[in-house]
Amino acid sequence: MVARPLPYYTIELEVPADWSAIRAGQFVMIATHPIAEPALEPYLRRAFSVHDLSRTDRSTRIELLAKIVGRGTRALAARRSGERLAVLGPLGRPFTIPESGPVALVAGGVGSAPMFLLARELVARGVSFDLFYGGRSSVDLARLAELAALAQPAGELVATTEDGSVGRRGRITEPLAVRLAEARYRAIYACGPQGLLARLAELAAEHGVPGEAALETAMGCGFGACLGCAVPLVSGRFGLCCKEGPVFAFDAVRW
Amino acid sequence: MSRPDLSVRLGSLALPNPILTASGTFGYGLEFAHLADLDKLGGIVTKGLSLEPLKGNPPPRIGETRGGVLNSIGLQNIGIERFLADVLPGLERYPARVMVNLFGYELDDYARLAEKVDAYAGVAAVELNVSCPNVKKGGIEFGHDPELLERLVRSVRGATSKPIAVKLSPNVTSPATLGEAAKAGGADILSAVNTVLGMAIDPWTRRPRLATTRGGLSGPAIKPIAVRIVHDVARQVGLPVIGIGGVETVDDVVEFLLAGASAVQVGTALFRDPRTAERLVSGLEQRLAAEGLASVRELIGAMRPWEEH
Repeated sequence: MVARPLPYYTIELEVPADWSAIRAGQFVMIATHPIAEPALEPYLRRAFSVHDLSRTDRSTRIELLAKIVGRGTRALAARRSGERLAVLGPLGRPFTIPESGPVALVAGGVGSAPMFLLARELVARGVSFDLFYGGRSSVDLARLAELAALAQPAGELVATTEDGSVGRRGRITEPLAVRLAEARYRAIYACGPQGLLARLAELAAEHGVPGEAALETAMGCGFGACLGCAVPLVSGRFGLCCKEGPVFAFDAVRW
Repeated sequence: MSRPDLSVRLGSLALPNPILTASGTFGYGLEFAHLADLDKLGGIVTKGLSLEPLKGNPPPRIGETRGGVLNSIGLQNIGIERFLADVLPGLERYPARVMVNLFGYELDDYARLAEKVDAYAGVAAVELNVSCPNVKKGGIEFGHDPELLERLVRSVRGATSKPIAVKLSPNVTSPATLGEAAKAGGADILSAVNTVLGMAIDPWTRRPRLATTRGGLSGPAIKPIAVRIVHDVARQVGLPVIGIGGVETVDDVVEFLLAGASAVQVGTALFRDPRTAERLVSGLEQRLAAEGLASVRELIGAMRPWEEH
């Protein structure tokens, strides 16, 4: 089932029961066209973080959050309820859930995709957190109200937009830097554009706070065969985003 | 009617069926053990292995085009020693025959690599990568120069008694001429083809889609190029040929066999579905049964050419 508004949408998939062990930060590779009509373009499957997970006695479902940025995400948005899509997963290394809070969650735009499930996991474990959610404009803060509800009552959601249409005008690193100076957090968990993650890694290092980021790279297969999703690491070698990530420690990545 | 016979023979290399996985698309094989049924495969060709481990090219390493994938991985690999010590024992548990893909920077590297694998019973054959477009001196000039290639193959011939396959580049005017040179040097099998040199640019960011600007194109987009080369090489050289390039369906397999290939390698299609190769094995068996063919070998080179005018 595809829910809008565009350019953001969520897609809900019925998956095998044992997928209920999926953890925040893990991802799936999904074909953008139905199994019966494989496409030549896009040829490869697309990687998406698992955004939400629900279990009932009868079924296990995952939800993906996507933004239309190209052919793949456009084709996927055109899928209808009941279509069967090839999905491979769950893949990759999840976020390390902290023992105790408070922690900071940082999402930039569609980077909120894995943060939703992470927020749920933290709530279930009783770990308090503040959620920093930034985007260009109000439309970029998908599921804002639900995320705010997850962060409360132990924490809060801080929103920023570059045009000031929601929350404070500016970038999300600004309010976060203030809180970090107050030494509030034991750890930072983030997903968003490369520039944001690089800045966060810098901020975290300045304040001596550990952190993890879910990275996005061009990905061929998702299971370590093509070696396409190389991430430059501080150690000097390339790590595979699909196998060693997509979640990496801030200080492991050569930003 | 009994089940069709899928077994093929490429020189002295016998395969339970003609479906192999292509180098660089199936890791070292074991990565797929939980995603695919390795028992069904005719063979596994490893990621290219060098004397020393290689860290590969910077990202982006992969980009998509219509019906194709551009890559510039840069032959990242764990090195021959670690492969033989840590990976090969795990692969030996499967009936699929293991072809070890080898590449070097110097002509002598190939013979040294072949020497190292010669004693391992788990290695069924070697495949020489003399045609990777993504590494400077990634063997590429060997694959473009008949005299050098003949010398290279001859040196490997002296280092191993295992069947030698030479993987041909499509980026030359006459791949068959290189095939002849490989044969003269003592090659047993020709693998055709490696990726087609290509390039793509993102029109919005104006960046090449690959950090190395140019890379190797694979997938359905290159299949007609590969079929032509397989056809020409099989006819002109007379060595058994393994067809590679855009194999994804049973029709593709049959097409390569008709063109003269004795087996095929599945590559890029594995990225979008890691079960592609095993599906082709069962699909091919069904096709043969439906056509009333007793053996897959009846299809090899069985193209019906048009009458000449």
